[in-house]
Amino acid sequence: MARRKSGRPSKSLWSQTGPTPRLLFGAFAIAAIGLLGLTPKTLFGLSIAWPYAALWGAVGWGRVGLSLRPMVFLIIFGLIQDISFNAPLGCFVIVNLVVYGFSAWIASMFDVMHEPLVAVIAPVLQFISGFLVLWLMASALEDHAVRATPLVAAFLTTGVIYAIVHKMFDLGRAPGQPVGQTT
Amino acid sequence: MARLSRSGQKPGKRSAKRLILFVFIFGAAALVVAQSAPQIRHVFDPVRTAAGDQLGGSDSISLWARISGQAARERRIRDLESEVRELSRYKAAAISMAERLEAYENILNLMGEPPVRGVTARVTAESDGPFAQTLLANAGRAQGVDPGAIALNEGGLVGRVIQLGEYSSRILLITDFNSRIPVMGEVSGVRAILFGGRDGLGSLTDLPERSGFIEGERILTSAEGGAFPRGLVVGEARLLGGDWRVKFGMANRSGGYVQMVPPPLIETPAPVEDIPAADATGGPAQASAAQGVRQ
Repeated sequence: MARRKSGRPSKSLWSQTGPTPRLLFGAFAIAAIGLLGLTPKTLFGLSIAWPYAALWGAVGWGRVGLSLRPMVFLIIFGLIQDISFNAPLGCFVIVNLVVYGFSAWIASMFDVMHEPLVAVIAPVLQFISGFLVLWLMASALEDHAVRATPLVAAFLTTGVIYAIVHKMFDLGRAPGQPVGQTT
Repeated sequence: MARLSRSGQKPGKRSAKRLILFVFIFGAAALVVAQSAPQIRHVFDPVRTAAGDQLGGSDSISLWARISGQAARERRIRDLESEVRELSRYKAAAISMAERLEAYENILNLMGEPPVRGVTARVTAESDGPFAQTLLANAGRAQGVDPGAIALNEGGLVGRVIQLGEYSSRILLITDFNSRIPVMGEVSGVRAILFGGRDGLGSLTDLPERSGFIEGERILTSAEGGAFPRGLVVGEARLLGGDWRVKFGMANRSGGYVQMVPPPLIETPAPVEDIPAADATGGPAQASAAQGVRQ
């Protein structure tokens, strides 16, 4: 770790950033990746399972507890996903908010910041719950059990990429909360 | 002193936010349920088409298209342009043959297929999610696409336009479970209804009990129901595990463009009392017209 001359570890720019800029940055990343995902996704003739980027926000932002601003972003992203996936309006809103609520609930029950096992298992459970809710809703609304393969592929991509970029969706503390808990 | 949670929020404030979260979730669920009524679902159609216009109507090349081999595609376009120049020589011959064919059809009093006019558009977005499998193409009403237009690519039938915006069209793919296409075998002539399967192959239903397709024969649209013209290539027949399945032709040739042709227009038959009596028109002429509508 980089240290100052005084011996104290130097703080990274990200750790000094407040929750609102972190939220905006994460939302921008979700929007950018989501927009890229709308284009035909084949690379060297292979089709790519694109991640559901909004779930990163739902899982990451929920770790600091419930807050209104992330909810608004998740609703907006959900509506955009509904339109782009040609789903009835509200489906992806429900998925995003359920995962967000689940993430906040787990964060209130366990120490998701410092317990390594919980920090790994909690997002996995949250992604599984999100994709399960999505599959159930899609199957109920389409009147038949929809294909699970694209969902599983998207789930794996979403999870693997979240493991790499999860810091981007860590707000440190809930937006509007007093300073003192930034990680 | 009020007890703080792990996230540093006071219990009262937390329960209020929890309430807001539940209100949002129930609000979204109510919205979903409300859309089960077609009248309410159609209220959102302008929103969807407007969003589709924004997503699909732009002619600019996306960043992803650049990353994933735009240069190769441009080279392909140049190759195709040279091929078009070469093919234009054959066009003159085709026009001459079409005139002769038209003359023969007139002699036989045969009702031929209407000439195809269509709009070619670039596929700007595709969704392979759990809901309907659709494509978004960057041509809409302004470019002359008709509602219910048939989408084709180099491999054959792609789907049908289910939502039409000013500058975009959403196409329901034939690979979707909800699509139903009347098809027939090119050689066997067996008729069936095709729908999308979960494994990427098409499934067939309503087959005749005592006859089947021929392995590897082409599956074409049969034009029954009038939604699709007759003879469009859909795929190849495959016998898998005792069931006839269809390997889609469109999947092999997804060059990123679709041609959207108008759906067949079948005029409503005139009421019986409007048809002139047999003695007024003459017997032979009526028989000839009846032969003409046979396909």
